Amino acid sequence: MISNLVYEWRRLWSVRATWIMTIVYLIVTGLLGAGPLFLGDGSFGTQTWKGLYSTNANFLCLVMLSVVASQFFGHEYRYGTIRLTLTEFPKRERVVLAKTIVLAAYVTISTFLGWAVLGVLGSIAPEGSIGTQGPGLNLNGGEPSELWQVLVFSFAYCLIAMSLTMITRNLALGIVLPLLVFAVIENLIVLFSGLAKGKMDWIVDILPFTNGTAWLTNLPDSPNAGLIFAAWVAALYLIGSAMFFKRDA
Amino acid sequence: MRIEARNLDKHFRSVHAVKDLSFTVEPGRVTGFLGPNGSGKSTTMRLMLGLDSGGGQTLYDGKKLSSHLPVTRTIGAHLDAKFFHPKRTAYAHLQMLGSEAGISKARVHEVLKLVGLESVAKKRPGGFSLGMGQRLGLAGAILADPQVLMLDEPANGLDPQSIQWLRDFLKHYASTGKSVLVSSHLLSEMELLADDVVVIARGNLIAAESMPAFLSRATGSAVVVRSPQSEKLADLLTAQGIASTTDGARTIVIPGQTTDRIGEIAFTNGIALSELSPRTASLEQVFLELTESGQEYRLGETS
Repeated sequence: MISNLVYEWRRLWSVRATWIMTIVYLIVTGLLGAGPLFLGDGSFGTQTWKGLYSTNANFLCLVMLSVVASQFFGHEYRYGTIRLTLTEFPKRERVVLAKTIVLAAYVTISTFLGWAVLGVLGSIAPEGSIGTQGPGLNLNGGEPSELWQVLVFSFAYCLIAMSLTMITRNLALGIVLPLLVFAVIENLIVLFSGLAKGKMDWIVDILPFTNGTAWLTNLPDSPNAGLIFAAWVAALYLIGSAMFFKRDA
Repeated sequence: MRIEARNLDKHFRSVHAVKDLSFTVEPGRVTGFLGPNGSGKSTTMRLMLGLDSGGGQTLYDGKKLSSHLPVTRTIGAHLDAKFFHPKRTAYAHLQMLGSEAGISKARVHEVLKLVGLESVAKKRPGGFSLGMGQRLGLAGAILADPQVLMLDEPANGLDPQSIQWLRDFLKHYASTGKSVLVSSHLLSEMELLADDVVVIARGNLIAAESMPAFLSRATGSAVVVRSPQSEKLADLLTAQGIASTTDGARTIVIPGQTTDRIGEIAFTNGIALSELSPRTASLEQVFLELTESGQEYRLGETS
């Protein structure tokens, strides 16, 4: 298993795209974090430390990580290297496990680096720009109860991207589908649900990212949000893995 | 290491691409894998590596490939000249492939030097020519010095010098007791390289035998005899039920016979011979003869 992990680690960092996307992720995180701190004219209100550290759960940051996550399988199929990988490691379940572990490590490192950037910004922000109330995640107007939730949410988002790439074998779809659902489709469904006077509430109740952000921001009226989000992530991951095990390389 | 492919079978929806193929690849020999375009060679190789699912199994010294760890010490495969990330340097590509077997940096450099890519080790292979891609693929296959080499059309895109180098390399590799299975469309090259052949057409096994045995299958193989007593010899052969044809003065051609047999008849009857030679068909002749009906994508007639 160690050699699987070494292989994946080398595969990940030996292409420039990983470095570029990580740097872009840190820049976007920094810009989004800096906005309320440095450009605020009072309309944003003050920012909280927890709100600041949750900046990298914004979908604009997550999409950068999901590009790298999709590349775990996307590059393999795009350039045919999956055949080299599976010749070297015929046990496919180990390949999936190694990619998942390395993805988790990558997301963890990136998230901590993002927090470091945000920490520096917070420390040099004008006095009074960080207080006890603020815009937080700017997702549902809340902020995470615990910062580890930001890390878990980021990993889950990337796992969805990787799973969709496994299913579609298409790098672009692995990036675009989660983004589209998260940023556009679910918002439209929620909008139509409001117009449908409660007839579509059951759909809203099972939307993946609506539940994911509800869990992240600890919305009091969504006690099962975490479970529903986890079920989506697990289902996509299991379907993707099963298809990877079964299909020809 | 002996490779035993047993009853390999593969369907792609309605297409039966590989049909119950069984053959062996012996250690210490180069086995040529031949077949027309679309005959199922690449699919068979993928089945042997476990990359595609299908019927049958392939055993390496009696065990499944995944039982041999590290796998890269057992088998090195090169299936396509473009199986690399165009932005990952040649060196990084090989370093990644060497992860399972714990290949050292020195070995990576050694292999790059061997295939003539040392000067572009730090270059991204996106700009490599087909021939350079083949060399990089070969470098990946031999990196861990495996017991088995499986190469799919490795000579495509190589210049004549590189083809000769590849031939010498593979012959030497097999001579150390390792197994080499190599597919190619370059039949003249394969004739010089392979000790054994496996021939398939439309997924069916046509032949799996030694190269001399395969060549002797041709209807064009014959014995050529030149003798001042050629007419007497022809009469003697006719009396023994052996057909022959005259090919110019003093020369007769005897199809389907061996030089041993004809030499013996001539000696027994006191006939002097000035030439006794076999006329064997080329690999190309035999191949075309045996696979003519098995061509998946037929060409039109040339005017």
